[in-house]
Amino acid sequence: MAGAAWVCLLTPLAAVLVITLAGERLSRRGAGYLSTASTMVSFAAAIVAFVIMLGESSDARIHGTTAYTWLSAGPYSFGLSLLTDQLSVMMMLIVAGVGSLIVAYSVGYMEGEDEERRYFAYMSLFVFSMLLLVQSGNLLLLLAGWGMVGLSSYLLIGFHQERPSAIAAAKKAFVMNAFGDATMALALFLLIQHTGRLDFAGVFASSPTHGTVANLIALGLLGGAVAKSAQIPLHTWLPDAMEGPTPVSALIHAATMVTAGVYLICRCHPLFEYAPKVQDVAAGLGAVTLLMAGLIALVQVDIKRVIAYSTMSQIGYMFVGVGVGAYPAAMFHLMTHAFFKALLFLAAGIVIHALAGEQDIRRMGGLGRVMPFTRTVFWIGALALAGMPFFSGFFSKDAIVGATMTRGWYGYCLFAACVLGALLTGLYTFRLVFLVFHGERSEFAREHLHVPESGREGPFSMLWTVAVLALLSLIGGWLQWTQLWHPLTDWLDPVAAPTADPSDTQEWIATVSALVAGLAGIGLAWAAYVKRSVRIPKPVALFEKKFYWDELYDAVFYRPADLISRGLGRFFEQPVIGGSIGDVRDGFRAGAGEVARVQNGLVRAYVLALASGVAVLAVVFLTNR
Amino acid sequence: MHGPDVSWYIALAGLLFATGAVGVLVRRSPLIILLSVEIMLNGANLALIAFARHLGNEQGQVFAIAVMAVAASEVVVGLGLIVAMGRRNVELDVDKLRTLRG
Repeated sequence: MAGAAWVCLLTPLAAVLVITLAGERLSRRGAGYLSTASTMVSFAAAIVAFVIMLGESSDARIHGTTAYTWLSAGPYSFGLSLLTDQLSVMMMLIVAGVGSLIVAYSVGYMEGEDEERRYFAYMSLFVFSMLLLVQSGNLLLLLAGWGMVGLSSYLLIGFHQERPSAIAAAKKAFVMNAFGDATMALALFLLIQHTGRLDFAGVFASSPTHGTVANLIALGLLGGAVAKSAQIPLHTWLPDAMEGPTPVSALIHAATMVTAGVYLICRCHPLFEYAPKVQDVAAGLGAVTLLMAGLIALVQVDIKRVIAYSTMSQIGYMFVGVGVGAYPAAMFHLMTHAFFKALLFLAAGIVIHALAGEQDIRRMGGLGRVMPFTRTVFWIGALALAGMPFFSGFFSKDAIVGATMTRGWYGYCLFAACVLGALLTGLYTFRLVFLVFHGERSEFAREHLHVPESGREGPFSMLWTVAVLALLSLIGGWLQWTQLWHPLTDWLDPVAAPTADPSDTQEWIATVSALVAGLAGIGLAWAAYVKRSVRIPKPVALFEKKFYWDELYDAVFYRPADLISRGLGRFFEQPVIGGSIGDVRDGFRAGAGEVARVQNGLVRAYVLALASGVAVLAVVFLTNR
Repeated sequence: MHGPDVSWYIALAGLLFATGAVGVLVRRSPLIILLSVEIMLNGANLALIAFARHLGNEQGQVFAIAVMAVAASEVVVGLGLIVAMGRRNVELDVDKLRTLRG
C-alpha cells in the first residue's frame, strides 16, 4: 500500500526531472509521451491502492506512511508522510486518471508549439503537486502541495510568455492564491499553538471544539479554499487564467486544482463542524458564486471564458454541498464535474484548434455539420453539465440540491439559489452549444475551418481522450443515485460522514425541480438562439463587466497603493533620500581618500606594520600569561 | 634524550627569525627579501621540530614538512615574478615598485 502511494506520487516528479535534465536530447514528442506515461503509471498505482483497499474492511482502510521526519522544532515534529484513505484514493484516481487523459490530449494539441518540453515538464510538475496535496498526511505537507499547485498553475497560465496578457493573468492568479495560502498558514499557526501538531487525526482530536479559535481556524482554511477554488470574493483570477493553453484550463482550472478547496473542506470537515457559522458562510459564498458566475456566463463571448464561469458556478454547488455537510455529494459532484468539464474544455480545444486559435463564439457557428464528432461529445458534456437525466451531472448535482433542504430557512434560500442556478446552467450551456455548433456557418468559419483530408477533426490523441471522457460523462453518474443506491457515500463514510441526511421526499423534490429548471433553461436557449422566437435582450452591462469585481479591487487596493507610493516618491524619496544621497556619497569619497593614504605601495612599510603588530601582540601575551 | 636543552634550539630559532625579519625590513632587493623570508620560515621550522622532539610527538615534524612545501611554492612564484621583472627591465627595488598605492 505504501509502495503504491509513493509510486503514484513520485513518478510524475521523475518525469519532470528527466524532461528538464535531458533538454534537447529528448525529442518534443518524447517529452509528451514521457509525461503521459508517467501520469498513467501514477494512475495505475492509484488503482492498485484502490484495489488493495477494496479487499480490506471499511475501518482498516486508512494507511499512513512516513518517509522521514521532515521538520522538527522543540516538541513539534512533522514527518514527510502520506495518508492513503478512502478520500485521498478517490482524489488520486480522479487526478491521475483525468490527468493522464488530458496530458495525452496535449500531445496532439501542443504539436508544433515552441517549447513543448517546458509545457510537459510543467504539466508533470502540476500532477506531482496535486498528488502531493491530496496524499499528504499532515496539514503542513498539504500546504506545501497547495503552494506548489499554485506555482504550476502560475507557470502554465503564463506559458505563452510572449503575450503580456498571459503574464498579467499568471501574476493575478498567483497573487490571489497567495492571499489564500496566507490565511491558510495563519490557520495552521493557530492549530500548532493550540494542539501542537498538524497530522489530521491528531488535529481533529485535540483542536478546540467551539469558540473564537475554532471559528478563526475554520475561517483561515476557508480563505485558502475560496482562493484556490475561485469563489467570491477571490474569484477574479479564474476567467483570466484562460490565457493558458486549453488542456491546462481543462486539467488545472476545471477538473482538479480548482476543486482542491472542496477537497480541503471535506478533509478537514471536523474543523468546520466545530465552527458551524463558518460552514454556513462557505455554503453562502458557494450559492452567491453559482448565481453570479451563471449570470456572467450568459453574456461572455469567449468560448473558454463561458466554460470557466460555468466551472466557478459548479464549484459553487460543491461549496454549497460541503457547507451543508453533504460531503459525499460534493465529492461525487467533484468527480462527475471533472469528467464533463474536462470534456467540454477539450472539445472546445478541438474547435479552437480547428479554427486556428479563434475563441470568439460570435465568429463561430454551424460547426456541427463539419465536426459531427466534436458536436456529439460537446452535447454529451453540455447535457451532463445541465444535469439532464442519466447524464452524470444529473445524479451528483441533485444530491447537493436535496441536501440543502435539511438546513431550515437558510437551507431553503440555498435551495432556491441552486434551482435558479440550474436554470442559468441550462441557458448558458446551450447558448454556447447552439451558437457554436448550430445555425448558419459563419463567414469566419467558412474561411478558416480546416478539416484535413483524412476527415478527422483533430489529431488522434485528441479524439480518443475526448471519447473516453465522453463515455465517463455518460456513465460516471450511475455510480450513485442517492435515493436508490449509494456506494460512494458508504465508501467515504469512515472519513467524511455526511451531517445532512435528506429524506427521500426531499431528494425527489430536488431532482424534479432542478430538472424542470434545467429544461426551462435549455428551452429558453433553444427559443432564443435556434427558433429566435424570443428576442435576445441587450447584454446587461453589470454582467458584461462581471459585477465590477475587477473595478472594485482596482479602486480599493490598486489605486490607494498607487497613490500612496506616488506620494511617498514625491514627498519623501525625492527630497529626503534623493537630496541626501549626494552628501553621503561625498562624505564617503573624502573619508576613503584619507584612508587610502595608508596604502602607500611600499612593501617594507607594510612589513614593518606587520612586524610591529606581531611584536605588540607578543608583548601583550607575554605580560598577561 | 641527548643533545642540548630545547631552549637552545628556540634561542637559535628566534635568532634566525629575527635575522630574516631584519633582512625583510631593511633590504630593498626583492631577491634578498625572498631569501630573508626563507630564513624566517626556517627559523619557525626549527622551533617546530625542536618542540616536536621535546614533547616526543610527530605533529611538529608534519607541520614543518607542510611549511617546506608552502615555502617551495612561494619561492617558485616569487622567483617567477622577479625573472619577469628582470625581462621587462624593471628596476629590482621594492621601494620603486609602488603602483598599488592608494
